Amino acid sequence: MTTNAMATGQSNYRIIRYIVLAFLVIWLVFTLFPLYFAIITALKPVDEINRMVPTFWPETFRFDNFAGIFADPGSLKSLIDSIIIASANTALSLVLGTLAGYALARYLRGALGENLAFFILSQRMFPPVAILIPIFFLFDETPWGTDSYITLVLLYLVFNLPLATWLMMVFFRDAPKELEEAAYLDGYTPFRAFFKVTLPLVVPGMISVAMLCWIFAWNEYLFANLLTGTTVKTFPVHIPTFVAGSQTLWNFVMAFSLVAMLPPVLLFIVLRRYMVRGLSLGVVKG
Amino acid sequence: MAGLVLDEICKGWDFPVLDRLSLTVEEGEFFVIVGPSGIGKTTLLRCIAGLERLDAGRVIIGGQDVTAVKPYRRGVAMTFESYALYPHLTVFENIASPLRARRQPKEDIARQVESVAKLLKIDHLLDRRPHEVSGGQKQRTALGRTLVAKPEIFLLDEPISHLDAKIRHELRRQFHTLEDLRRVATLYVTHDYAEALSLGDRIGVMGEGGLVQIGSPREVFEKPADLFAARVLGQPSINEFSAEVEGSDGALSISVENGAIRFPISGPPASVLGDHSDRGISVGMRPQHLSVVRDGASSANGHPTVEGTVDVHEALGATGVLIATVGEQPLTVITSPEDHYASGEPVKIALEPENFLYFDRQSGRNLMLGQS
Repeated sequence: MTTNAMATGQSNYRIIRYIVLAFLVIWLVFTLFPLYFAIITALKPVDEINRMVPTFWPETFRFDNFAGIFADPGSLKSLIDSIIIASANTALSLVLGTLAGYALARYLRGALGENLAFFILSQRMFPPVAILIPIFFLFDETPWGTDSYITLVLLYLVFNLPLATWLMMVFFRDAPKELEEAAYLDGYTPFRAFFKVTLPLVVPGMISVAMLCWIFAWNEYLFANLLTGTTVKTFPVHIPTFVAGSQTLWNFVMAFSLVAMLPPVLLFIVLRRYMVRGLSLGVVKG
Repeated sequence: MAGLVLDEICKGWDFPVLDRLSLTVEEGEFFVIVGPSGIGKTTLLRCIAGLERLDAGRVIIGGQDVTAVKPYRRGVAMTFESYALYPHLTVFENIASPLRARRQPKEDIARQVESVAKLLKIDHLLDRRPHEVSGGQKQRTALGRTLVAKPEIFLLDEPISHLDAKIRHELRRQFHTLEDLRRVATLYVTHDYAEALSLGDRIGVMGEGGLVQIGSPREVFEKPADLFAARVLGQPSINEFSAEVEGSDGALSISVENGAIRFPISGPPASVLGDHSDRGISVGMRPQHLSVVRDGASSANGHPTVEGTVDVHEALGATGVLIATVGEQPLTVITSPEDHYASGEPVKIALEPENFLYFDRQSGRNLMLGQS
């Protein structure tokens, strides 16, 4: 290759780099602008929000908006309710999904296992709205009624359990069966071998699944709005209550939304390290 | 009392991997199974360990029929070809695993693990995880895990095949000296004939469906039951040719590959092969039974010779391997390491027909067995 051709190759590479960078900048603007606007809206007074030409930098900063949202005792309770429901549902999804995924991965191979696993996953593809009304009547018949923690914890299993089962099945299939067999020969029963060897191998996968389940349950609005709202009120249901007369208090809505973003973001930052796969590297001959 | 008895075990219906295989391994015996890759050696071990269900037959360990016993109650320890170390546990915990399974007291576990680790020279690695140690150290860890278990049967599946040559030799030497392995019945699987000859009290050559030949290393190497067993053992591989027996009672000669190589035979081979003049045979010539006659050497100690040209010569330090073409047939010859040959150079090769192996061409059976 001549120097000239090499230079052309290099400048081609540079052009592609700039194009990619330009796309990234545009993409960043699109994704970050709503967040930026939410933040500044949360800091504006109501009359500044209602102007026809919106301000892109608040003229007056109202940091007390964040204190204002908690003047309503329902605000804190809704966050706690959401944490309770999301956590309980995640725990249940994880326990059941792990056991079911293991059974599918190890004991139901072949056509039956494949079809059953896909059938379970297909539950997740069902449009939730289609079962909204039947679900309401169904839970209305239960001793605890519709407006309770148990209702949402159980209901979210409909969406989270198929996903948890499918993903855990995939993780268990990746975990080498030979390690379990080695544990049998060490004298562990299948039950003990599962906890000693197999389960630790899929912990990174379990954490990823937990994150997905938790965030779904945290953000769910449709069912929470229809079924609960008095005894139990999750934060997505609480947000629309920030109104004064006919006016929506957008600054409170945005401030509360930002507060509600914190738990999942913190959770992700803490657990990100564990979500990295690759614990099973180095098992194979080297 | 017998350590391990396999009674006509079968595995696989459409393609029988094990077909009515019977074998007895005595207590204290080191039995090596050697055979080409993919022939079912690992399957055999997995059947003994209970990881595979038998289709027929019985497995008896220490006089007890364990055919229906689960692997975790069989008292069998096995090393896997992939080592199968627990990646999330330290070397210490990996070795301690069988003891933890029996819920032994902590101090006992620490003592036993440390003594085994010292024996295997991995006592400085106990805090590491499997991905932080080398291949040889992984293998030692896997071996340590089976040793602490103090099983009734050791099953070792290609334990050193994937290590580099130096460590392989070092570990092979260690297998000779490990007391625990020599006390109970050990079944060692390999595709490397040198490991088999070096380690085995007895060797079983595995072919399709089961064991083709069982015997002492010397017996199996010198008197292979058939062409297959002769092929499995030996490196460089045996030279094999189809041949005809020519001539009459007085002066028999063998014509290899339509006369490319021709040599007279006498003694025991002659008396056996005389009956086969009408049927075809196969001749197996081990490379060490062929030698190059140097220029100027007038005789080949009375051995018949053939002329050929050098193809490739590999000087390997301790020996040399020469591949020559004799009448379009390739012939592998062991040479002395000092000699060097250029490609295309003419050579004279001396044959030792009395050491050659003669097989029935149809069945592959060794014709000399039961005769000498």
